[in-house]
Amino acid sequence: MQSINVYIVKRLGQFFLVVFIGINIVFFVTHATPIDPVEHSIMAAAMFGSTSPEAINMLREALADLYGLKGSLWDQYWTFWKRIAVADFGPSVSSFPTPVSTLIGRAIPWTVGLLLTAVIISWVVGNILGGLAGYYRENRLLKAAGVVAMGLHPIPYYIIAFVLLIIFGYLWPVLPLGGGYQRNMTPGWNLPFIGSVITHGFLPALSLVLVGFGAWFMGMRALVSNIVTEDYVVYAELAGVDRNRILGSYVMRNALVPQITGLGMSLGAIFNGAIITEQVFGYPGVGTLLVSAVHAGDYSLVIGITTISIIGVAGAVLVIDLLYPLLDPRVKIG
Amino acid sequence: MLSILKDLLRYNREFAAGAALLGIVVAMSAMSALAPMPPDDVYVVPPDLPPSWTYLMGTTSRGQDVFWQLSFAIRNTLLFGFIVALLSRILSLVIGLLSGYLGGFVDRVLMSINDTFIVMPLFPILVMFYFVMRDRMSWAALALVMAGLGWAYDARLIRSIAMSLRTRQFTEHSVYSGMSTRQIVAQEHLPYVMPIVFSTTMNNINWSIGLEVTLSVLGFTNINTPTIGVMIYWANQHTAMTAGVWWWVFFPVALVIMVFIGLFLLAVSMNEYIDPRSRLSRMRSAKT
Amino acid sequence: MSVLRNLAVAASACVFAFSAYAQSSNLPRHETLIVENPEGTIKNPGWFNYWAVNAGGRSTGLHQLAMDTFWYIDPNYGIDGVWDNSLASEKPIYNADFTEMTVKLRSGIHWSDGVEFSADDVLYTINTHMNTNGLFWSAPIQINVASIEAPDKNTVVFKLKKPNSRFHALFTVRWNGMWMMPRHVFEKAGDPLKFAFNPPVSIGPYTLHSFDNNGKWFTWQKREDWKRTTVARYGEPGPKYVTYMDPGPPDKRVIAQLNHELDIIHDVAPEGMFTLAKQSKTSRGWFKGFPYAHPDPTLPSVILNHQNELFQNKDVRWALALLIDIKAVSMASYRGAATISAIAIPPTGTQPDFYHEPMETWLTDFEIDTGKSKYKPYDPTAGKQIADMLRPSMGDQIPSDPKQIAKAFGRGWWKPNPQVATELLERAGFTKRGDAWYTPKGQPFTIRITTEGESRPVMTRAGSMIAQQWRQFGIDAKIVVAEGGNLIFVRAAGDYEAIMSWSVETWGGHPDLSFFLDSWHSQFVAKPGSPQPPRNWQRWSNPELDKLIEQIRGIGFDDPKGVEIGKEYIKLTVREMPVIPLMAYNVFTVMDETYWTGYPNAETDPYTDPVPNWANTKYMMVKLRPRQK
Repeated sequence: MQSINVYIVKRLGQFFLVVFIGINIVFFVTHATPIDPVEHSIMAAAMFGSTSPEAINMLREALADLYGLKGSLWDQYWTFWKRIAVADFGPSVSSFPTPVSTLIGRAIPWTVGLLLTAVIISWVVGNILGGLAGYYRENRLLKAAGVVAMGLHPIPYYIIAFVLLIIFGYLWPVLPLGGGYQRNMTPGWNLPFIGSVITHGFLPALSLVLVGFGAWFMGMRALVSNIVTEDYVVYAELAGVDRNRILGSYVMRNALVPQITGLGMSLGAIFNGAIITEQVFGYPGVGTLLVSAVHAGDYSLVIGITTISIIGVAGAVLVIDLLYPLLDPRVKIG
Repeated sequence: MLSILKDLLRYNREFAAGAALLGIVVAMSAMSALAPMPPDDVYVVPPDLPPSWTYLMGTTSRGQDVFWQLSFAIRNTLLFGFIVALLSRILSLVIGLLSGYLGGFVDRVLMSINDTFIVMPLFPILVMFYFVMRDRMSWAALALVMAGLGWAYDARLIRSIAMSLRTRQFTEHSVYSGMSTRQIVAQEHLPYVMPIVFSTTMNNINWSIGLEVTLSVLGFTNINTPTIGVMIYWANQHTAMTAGVWWWVFFPVALVIMVFIGLFLLAVSMNEYIDPRSRLSRMRSAKT
Repeated sequence: MSVLRNLAVAASACVFAFSAYAQSSNLPRHETLIVENPEGTIKNPGWFNYWAVNAGGRSTGLHQLAMDTFWYIDPNYGIDGVWDNSLASEKPIYNADFTEMTVKLRSGIHWSDGVEFSADDVLYTINTHMNTNGLFWSAPIQINVASIEAPDKNTVVFKLKKPNSRFHALFTVRWNGMWMMPRHVFEKAGDPLKFAFNPPVSIGPYTLHSFDNNGKWFTWQKREDWKRTTVARYGEPGPKYVTYMDPGPPDKRVIAQLNHELDIIHDVAPEGMFTLAKQSKTSRGWFKGFPYAHPDPTLPSVILNHQNELFQNKDVRWALALLIDIKAVSMASYRGAATISAIAIPPTGTQPDFYHEPMETWLTDFEIDTGKSKYKPYDPTAGKQIADMLRPSMGDQIPSDPKQIAKAFGRGWWKPNPQVATELLERAGFTKRGDAWYTPKGQPFTIRITTEGESRPVMTRAGSMIAQQWRQFGIDAKIVVAEGGNLIFVRAAGDYEAIMSWSVETWGGHPDLSFFLDSWHSQFVAKPGSPQPPRNWQRWSNPELDKLIEQIRGIGFDDPKGVEIGKEYIKLTVREMPVIPLMAYNVFTVMDETYWTGYPNAETDPYTDPVPNWANTKYMMVKLRPRQK
């Protein structure tokens, strides 16, 4: 038990360290941008209307005051940590005075909903097909699936999304080209709304699955084809155990352990995917929010989103690390 | 080395296919040396012409010949991927080997940094870099930044191999015979990790080219240097897909897909080559 | 294998079972006008308080359909003249020294919650801005207004701190203006900076129907009591519902209109416009045929940074202008669909009648003396040459009547002349060694032209063409991209050498130039390194210009002397070339007549600007009529 406690403490320490370093990097990189949020607000306000330069100078003063942007970098850094400690990212500068948490709160269900679904589908599909392909090596259909997986896997996500959009947008326009649900619909837990969400999310999810499942497929196939040469599998086959049962209960089960670790790590890529999906498919979510925050020099919003994503990813890795001893008792703790 | 290549080409269809695909791509990029016009000039040929014998891949709405433009683009894209891979390999090798061999405190510090890089949301960070550097974000600067971000996964992989090597007897022998850390790592351990370095190189090139394409298409890079991403960027600016100028999008996308599949096949086949079990079974099935 | 089969079945079932939900809206299509909002996805959609600086969206329908103020000036010709008295019943009444402005208000106008609009609302709006810092119009009000009073329910009198002959401009809509606040709502709302105003109480003919929490669309519904709003003077608004949405990138906009799912595209690449013109019989632009686009009263130019010592010499600026071939720039940027202008006034609305046409003779006689030779740079046929160039491929839709050509393609521009440019540069101390030019200090002559990239493709394309032309002459010129909001910052900070942008914007319909020119006074030029307030981005200061601006300040808005001073301004800017004017900001607003007719157009009914993010487009609603029931 002693060693397990040490292990947990070590993992937790690692988690906090990673989060701390990550948030620091984000803080300093964002504050190094030359974009001044006050200037951005002023330009947005003065872009079209009749404005006297005198008035603009006055507004500049007023806004800097309002946004709390006066004070040195270190003052801001200190305030920033004080806020993080109570999980408050403060008001968004580019949507003042709406809190950052409100903005993120509106967007995050879409991002998490879409990406989690897509990652899980690709993980499940990839592992099942990969396991089958590793076990039934001569099956033609599975071989074909292997070729598809291998062909799609290395292509960057943007290209896949772009090609899908061309196919379903121009050549065979059956799916909606943007948005998260039908216009003028009131969100709620009813069939039409859920149906609408599924149709709108179909193309983005499909693109994510197509790109994602190849890696799981190949990983699982390699693991399974190694395991089938192990003695216990050979014995089981000789003993006449049903082949599907061998695959399900003996082979896949052992092969799943490293794949679960992989699942934890791949949650890291969720955030990279979000921005591109949203840009290409016009899907709602934190990616668009982040890009517009970066454009507007909205430090607080940028930091809010990246911090949440860092904590999310590091947290997922932590959970997997902590569950690992339960999944695979062979793992030596220390 | 040559005989290995010959072996691979003969027994490994993936390797042969990958090599062939890359061969085409490299030949295409070599054509850039013969281009009759500078890559960044516009309106040098009549715009919007479909592929024909005069303009093999058609012309763009900017009055550029897609074929020649593509040759420059693919050259720059490949070079970019190569440089990122080279730099990040050096980083991951040094960090992975040191961390694995030395262990203890050094290992913990290096791996903490390493893990931080793994969890950092990469794309937002790159976008932010673009905003900090703006017009200074040249092609070379982007390569440097990407190399600085792209080593972490592979360093962990190399570390795990180095860790297992540390417990092997020959390492102990080397230590007793008075070799320095640098010597042991460079002379004894490096050869063991080289195969894995090669295969990760392919994946890393894929990764960096993929990100470059994505960033350029979204306009977060220097759009004066033609790359595959920049070509698609300009095509999108002219709504090429809806305007029916499909060849402006099709050829770059097709070529870059060839790069990805080619590199990937090489990586897969090298992996297999490294793993003797699967090599044996392949040779066996090739004979029967 | 059952797994595979099941997967395939499940996937196809998903597509077909839910295809019913793939329709884009559940409102009756023939009663709904669907419009692109170029603001894109709104980050903070639940925020309708326009008066706080960082409101959510502005052109989400909010300021087109739900806001109102005293006056509107139309960028084109207007339904009933360029000037429209909206909440005011007559034009502003100034006293003799412009220190007092009286406004007579229209009566019988109601907010959407039934409360009547009155002088109280005006007093509240002005007083709130005087007492609160950081509201959208706090600063101009605090600078100008000493006090405000309402002698009766329909009259307000502004007492100004100092003479200001253009004070009414603040309340005159060109894109937007200072909107009136509903006193009865804001009074109870607490801090006006922190009040979301959701749902908004409207004074326009529409109220909010619903909006997307993710900021992708906003739908407005016609008020039952639309008669109690100002546009009722022109009849009933046609559409029952108006949706402002983010349709995505240009490709998607084109597709959406081809599917008749987007009635008005705000802007699209020229190629997209041509595609629509070819493939959709019901789509049309401002011009029925080429060049389709609506020229906004905005003047894209090459803006040179006058605080960069390279561009302080007017010989250098003129040399750079003489290296630009406007025909190639027009082709590269707008595929020829540009309305060019040699002078620093947008060639749009009524401006050509006041300025471009009368200045032709002077321009033709204008001469540059390089010290070695003399050159008359103006080529009055540049617009005609572009039309001639396009006629073989575009056919009959290219006009041949000189008047029509001038209206659609513009008049003349500067004849490129590398020889004269060389002489000018050499006089400025530049030298050419080999193929490359060097500055007087011996460094390579490099110019980085900042463009806005994907956010403004046409300008990026113009910039890259100009860079190429300079490059071919031996100047190391390149474009750099400052994507999205970044350009705004770079421009204000003066952190650029040359920039594709505009510092000249006019009323469009009205010849008064104070809208932009007043801000060009040297008193406002910022020091290097500190931000420049709009709109003198080039940071040009010139004593002659200051005199002209001061003269304009001393005369009334409608004084005919204004046009004469404007002509002096044109002569000055031609001599000095502070910015290199290129063309009008042509916006490819495409209107689909499948469901709605009565859009404004250049030929028969130029009653307003169709560009849908202008608040002036409220006049479009009363002219639109359904095509099919």
